[in-house]
Amino acid sequence: MVPTSYYVLLSAVLFSLGVIGVLTRRNALIVFMSVEMMLNSANLALVAFAQRWQSANGQILVFFVITVAAAEVAVGLALLVTIFYSKNTTDIDEINSLKG
Amino acid sequence: MSDLTWIVILIPAFPLLGFLLNTFLIRHERPAGLIASGAVVLSFITALISIYVLQTLPEGTERIDYVLWEWITIGTLRVPFGLLFDQLTAVMTLLVTGVGGLIHIYSIGYMHGDERPVRFFAYMNLFIAAMLFLVMGDNMLLLFLGWEGVGLCSFLLIGHYFDRRSVQPGIVPSDAAVKAFVANRVGDAGMLLAMMAIFSAFGTLAFYGQNNGITGYIERAEEVAFRTIVLGPFGGVQLITAITFLMLIGVTGKSAQVPLFVWLPDAMAGPTPVSALIHAATMVTSGVYLIVRNHTLFEASPATSGWAVAIGVLTALLAATASVTQWDVKRVLAYSTISQLGYMVAAVGMGGYVAGMFHLLTHGIFKALLFLGAGSIIHGTHDTQDMRKMGGLRSAMPTTWWTYMLGAGALAGIFPLAGFWSKDDIIAHAFDVQIPLVGILLIVASLITAFYMGRQVALIFWGKQRDNTYHAHESGSAMRLPLVILGVGTVLGGLINLPGLYWLSNFLTPVLHEEAAPYTIGKGILATVVTLLALGSMYIGWYLYAVTFQSRIKAGKDDPLLYYLGDIWRGAEIGWGFDWLYQRVVVRPYRQISAFLSNVFDQQGIDGILVDGLPRLFSRLSTTLRTGQSGYIRNYAWVFFLGVIVLVGYFAIR
Repeated sequence: MVPTSYYVLLSAVLFSLGVIGVLTRRNALIVFMSVEMMLNSANLALVAFAQRWQSANGQILVFFVITVAAAEVAVGLALLVTIFYSKNTTDIDEINSLKG
Repeated sequence: MSDLTWIVILIPAFPLLGFLLNTFLIRHERPAGLIASGAVVLSFITALISIYVLQTLPEGTERIDYVLWEWITIGTLRVPFGLLFDQLTAVMTLLVTGVGGLIHIYSIGYMHGDERPVRFFAYMNLFIAAMLFLVMGDNMLLLFLGWEGVGLCSFLLIGHYFDRRSVQPGIVPSDAAVKAFVANRVGDAGMLLAMMAIFSAFGTLAFYGQNNGITGYIERAEEVAFRTIVLGPFGGVQLITAITFLMLIGVTGKSAQVPLFVWLPDAMAGPTPVSALIHAATMVTSGVYLIVRNHTLFEASPATSGWAVAIGVLTALLAATASVTQWDVKRVLAYSTISQLGYMVAAVGMGGYVAGMFHLLTHGIFKALLFLGAGSIIHGTHDTQDMRKMGGLRSAMPTTWWTYMLGAGALAGIFPLAGFWSKDDIIAHAFDVQIPLVGILLIVASLITAFYMGRQVALIFWGKQRDNTYHAHESGSAMRLPLVILGVGTVLGGLINLPGLYWLSNFLTPVLHEEAAPYTIGKGILATVVTLLALGSMYIGWYLYAVTFQSRIKAGKDDPLLYYLGDIWRGAEIGWGFDWLYQRVVVRPYRQISAFLSNVFDQQGIDGILVDGLPRLFSRLSTTLRTGQSGYIRNYAWVFFLGVIVLVGYFAIR
């Protein structure tokens, strides 16, 4: 049986990759994907701990996360489409109208 | 006979009504003058009836004290709004309404064609009402209400020509009004403190005890005779001395004594009837009235009485000398008023309350006459006030001439005019109470008085008219009638306290409890000598200016006597430099402090640091901080992640 620490380590690696993706990539779609990766790394950690403690709580929470992530993607993609309509780009560095 | 004591309410009510009518309803000169004069004349008649009521009071009642309502009740402080009418009030009321009424009638003629006659008459009525409250108040607070009221009216009437930049002789009316007001505030501060001290010492402000349980303090002066106030390192002072001295400060302000007299010469910026009414006959005498009203306190405090004598004599001398050097017809009289007030204050300081009141009454009559005469001269010479431009007016204005001569004679103390009796009374009193120095100084002052009156009548009425740019004419009947009546009063005024008869003395006995001093041969000789000296002095003054210097007086040129007296003359001309002193000691430092506060403290401190500085600080801060708002989501995400790392790190390490 694979030790729990391996799962957690994988989860941390995936999360870090997601963070790097969010912070470095300019394409909004890639950023979205990175955000999804971070969410799923958290899911992985949750199911790992659920397995470790033989508790269903973590697994139930994962379903919640997946559901919320789906909703979030729907909203996020809708926003992205609207931004693309108005700005004709998905490069987030072009979107800086909040500059003070 | 039914109880008629309520009639005393009407005395101040008439002028107050006149004031209200003239303020709110009347818009034209003629009705305003008639209503104002009528109100005061009615008030005079009421005062006469009130005296009759007072004299026919049942045995055991000494005075009318008509309490309208209880004015202020706070803890043990109970102040009634009551009108007191005793013998002292009676004579003051007669003077105020009698002379005041004549001056009102005179004003109808004098103020004809003025820009603001209705306002003038309204304020004159308000003044009479306030003055009546002053003399009729049955407690110090009501007296103070009148005291402030007359001060206010004085301010308003001095500033009657507030829109003129300058009136003769080079006074700015609005400045003069403010000066009078401010000088009086100094005295009023003393009055307020005196009232507080009276309340803390006696627990009441009422003069006499009343049926409603309010106690009076006038008859309880000896209760506090031995109490002292400890002033820390400065030792102690007797409570009674403190009270009376604070009152004396009030007197120096209102009655224009040294060192606060400087406002009165400038107060001549007002119309001449105002000078006659307020600054000669009535308001300025209220300080003397105050001392006489509180005479028991002053009797219990020899120290303050001594101060009063010193101040009075000093004032009498300084102002008399200053009067000699003036060219302006009204300024001569202004300084002469200050000098005569000095006589009164010295008299009451010596305990000669009847003598002081006597001089107050006669002076009120003949000084009003002189001022109204001066007004008639100014009117008849088309607003000429400089005596160098007059001369030879005897033939042009005969009525003014002979009434003015009567007034001048009375002021100089010539037998048998009113001023002779009253001034002689004061001088004799000084010898009675064994202060011959005061008596001699007062005689000297009276000789100077005679001199400057001789000078003044010579300059105005004798010789040739030195300025022919105007045509002098006699004034109308509305102005001549008061002159004649006051002239008769000046001749007969001495009767009210003629030695041997002592009407005034006997009349005032219930209030003052002062026995008339017996008239001795010595006093007769003294009076004869003084009046002969005064006559001589007046003749010298007249001879110098009517004959000797006749050809050397020209408009704009200095007085021939300046050549002989030099700096003494110059000193007297500026009122012995009190104005100069205040200018340097008070006005200039005050201006500098104000300039500092407005230019440095306000503009740089309040405006610069608080009003402008704080926004500038936030503006700088925001300029710096907004550079953080790049608008790039990545940057915000960085901050977000760093925050997470810090938080996680914090919880991990803890």
